Amino acid sequence: MTSPTKRREGGRAALAAALSEGQAPGARVEHVGRVAFGPAMTIEHYRLGNGLTVLVSVDASAPVLSYHTWFAVGSRHEKPGKTGLAHLFEHLMFNETENLPAGTFDRKLEEAGAESNAATWLDWTFYHANVPRESLGLVVRLEAERMARLVLRDPQVSSEKEVVANERRYRVDDDVEGAVSELLYKTAFTEHAYGWPTIGWMADIEGFTTDDCAAFYRTYYAPNNATLVVVGDVKERDLLAKIQKAYGAVQPGALPVEDVHPEPPQTSERLVTVTKTTVTDKLAIGYQGPAFGDVDHVPLSLLSEILFGGRSSRVHRALVQEAELATEVRGWVSTYRDAGLYEMHAVARPGHTSAELLEALDREIERVVAAPVDEAELAKVKARFELALVQGLETASGKAEQMGFFFTVLGDPSGAFARLEACRRVTVSDLLRVARRWLRPRSRSVVVVHPEPAQVAS
Amino acid sequence: MFFEECRALPLVSLTLALPVGAALDPPGKDGLTRVTARMLRRGCRGMTSAEVEARIDALGAEVSVDVSQSSVSINFDVIERSLDDLVDLLVRMLAEPTFDERELGRLLRESEGELIEARDNDRSLAVRHFRRAFFEGHPYGRRTAGQLATLRTISRDDVVAHFPRMLARHGAHVAIAGSVSEARARALADRLVEALPDGGGPAPAIVAPSPRPGRRLVFVDKPERTQTQIIIGARGVHPREPSFWPLVLGTTVFGGTFTSRLMREVRSKRGWSYGASARVGYDRQPDALTVWTFPAAKDAAACIALELGLLDTWRDKGVTARELAFVRRYLVRSHAFEIDTAHKRVGLPLEVALLDLPPTHHSAFVEHVRGVTLESVQAAVAAHAPHRDLLIAVVGTHADIGSAVRDAIPNLADASVVPFDSE
Repeated sequence: MTSPTKRREGGRAALAAALSEGQAPGARVEHVGRVAFGPAMTIEHYRLGNGLTVLVSVDASAPVLSYHTWFAVGSRHEKPGKTGLAHLFEHLMFNETENLPAGTFDRKLEEAGAESNAATWLDWTFYHANVPRESLGLVVRLEAERMARLVLRDPQVSSEKEVVANERRYRVDDDVEGAVSELLYKTAFTEHAYGWPTIGWMADIEGFTTDDCAAFYRTYYAPNNATLVVVGDVKERDLLAKIQKAYGAVQPGALPVEDVHPEPPQTSERLVTVTKTTVTDKLAIGYQGPAFGDVDHVPLSLLSEILFGGRSSRVHRALVQEAELATEVRGWVSTYRDAGLYEMHAVARPGHTSAELLEALDREIERVVAAPVDEAELAKVKARFELALVQGLETASGKAEQMGFFFTVLGDPSGAFARLEACRRVTVSDLLRVARRWLRPRSRSVVVVHPEPAQVAS
Repeated sequence: MFFEECRALPLVSLTLALPVGAALDPPGKDGLTRVTARMLRRGCRGMTSAEVEARIDALGAEVSVDVSQSSVSINFDVIERSLDDLVDLLVRMLAEPTFDERELGRLLRESEGELIEARDNDRSLAVRHFRRAFFEGHPYGRRTAGQLATLRTISRDDVVAHFPRMLARHGAHVAIAGSVSEARARALADRLVEALPDGGGPAPAIVAPSPRPGRRLVFVDKPERTQTQIIIGARGVHPREPSFWPLVLGTTVFGGTFTSRLMREVRSKRGWSYGASARVGYDRQPDALTVWTFPAAKDAAACIALELGLLDTWRDKGVTARELAFVRRYLVRSHAFEIDTAHKRVGLPLEVALLDLPPTHHSAFVEHVRGVTLESVQAAVAAHAPHRDLLIAVVGTHADIGSAVRDAIPNLADASVVPFDSE
């Protein structure tokens, strides 16, 4: 997809042509275009002959760079019985390669002073390394090496399965918030792969074989399924030459057609009640929500800010400050490629119940469905929206993450600023429309959590 | 004032900080400093709490209040165009807080709810009970958020009396970074400081903690845990002490990187814990050197035994020249990410001022790291590695693993079991 602000730029095209001379087809580089990234920055968009996308934004404000590799694979690409494979595989990517014994990858990056990590979610997986500018060559070689020449052996797979099982205990099994979120998605999605957790069910984690992992690697870790994002103090020609040399010989893969099962419209409310080791009642609600690229996503996000954004929001004022029913409230419109959830969460104060939370929350929801919000409220949340965007762009890594995320999910690396423009255009009428379209009780799932009787806090 | 201009984004970060923290809480009034600081946004002359909050949001600003044992920091991020309006609001909040009785009641009840809710978080339970036992009788062992019983004793009179002790003009620091000129920043900082009550001065003295000798275990008993949280700790070292930098490098070898000894043995080889790390903490006085892991309940005892063995080896044999060279390169090169934004750069001298650190603590970081010798690391590790005098805090289900955990700790001098909901 090409964003409206993208245009080809003669100098870059000539640079790409010069760099492609004498190269094998996979290593040739094409300048796809230039994209504005806000008022002060630009992104140069290149593509190698093997399909690898490269987004470059030069930012010399600090002598560092951030190197991201985004793969368009997440837990949505898994199958029942094999959930958690994308995430387990992310762990395995830090192990052995054909030219690097186990442990060497991290050691070389640390010796260079790098911060590195990775994340997997429903639609994507990404790896990032923030390094001093002198280490550009190292990070390009290392990332290309593991994209093409990872070695998978039984002992490492077994050990990493244990680590992931422990991560699951930490994030889900012994964490009430994680357990509630998992249950909410399982309840809300009956068909779509968004219904299973990215970390995977414990039985699936325990059951993975080295062959499972190798097949996943061959299928999805291909240059034509990846985007490199480089932001920082780099010279474009030098960077591109290094990328050509390191990745140019990596063969593209035959990406499978995704076996998508769209979620059918929900026609009646689903309610699940559980008891957990916790001290107070909890409530989680998931309304069927828009995809990230849906025209309603920005106005619904603004409406969510009016309801849940900060201490001056309606729900915080009503449930936390005035009625003193809740300790914490929060809402979030999921940012997934396919239709997701508008999540709402509330934690009851000791002595109060989930039923009270739900009743009070419903009153606030009914208000935004029944009548327009004030212009002043809308202006306030627009200001918060702008602040959040700017705060996320302070570091090279923050910028690279925005570019990689928006490109992988929406195909537009400057999508963060497109959203800001969309935000500025939102009217009170838009908020009323999205409230009435998306906040319908019949299309929501509700998870109610009660403490085990012995653990009720006084 | 600490200042750095950066025009890359239309954003300004502003911190007003004072070297007076929760250690100043009067006996029986734990939490008073934090409550007083939080009351600043709960109403000022002519504005209710709701109006203050709405104004902050409308300006495109974000406000947070951090209270540590030794300092109070009020932090603001704001879109540049609203900077003057935000400072107008801040001046009013600082100069004319109303400390409304009804708002105070709300805040205290809200704080009680937060304390109870925190029992759901096993990591924070481990930290809290580690600190409570390790710094027993010292302000560092108190909870900055207070306890249910102490919050219930706090009155409006307490807050009104505490406010000028906490937020007084002399001793206040302002750090500003972002899209603003130095002259404008200085004028804004002057306005803020002048809004504070007159008075103050040098930071109140905090005596150095002296943890109890012997090996001790605090087991925080919580039902149905499939996993444990384990903190092993001993007395740390302050940056004023010569052994500080050698100990920092030695600890980085032990547990400060993804390829450290601890991570390799606990995670990479055995898969026992998702994370494993060690660090040297400090405040205005020495804090603790701590080692953190979170293995499955079935592996908890073996993991503690392994960690104690690794600590003994570290203490007895120190680190190798190759390990030292590695972490030296890591620390020197990764320092770029401690100073890669204007906001971070002004934060470093601010910390020096608040914690009374040596003036070159951050500014000569690279030289400090490069100056550490192998001999100095061996001496620091031998002297400070947790060994004879240490505390182990474990969050888990005592009926399932309590005796195995106790048996895994040789020469245990004292063991106690604390219900997870005891505070």
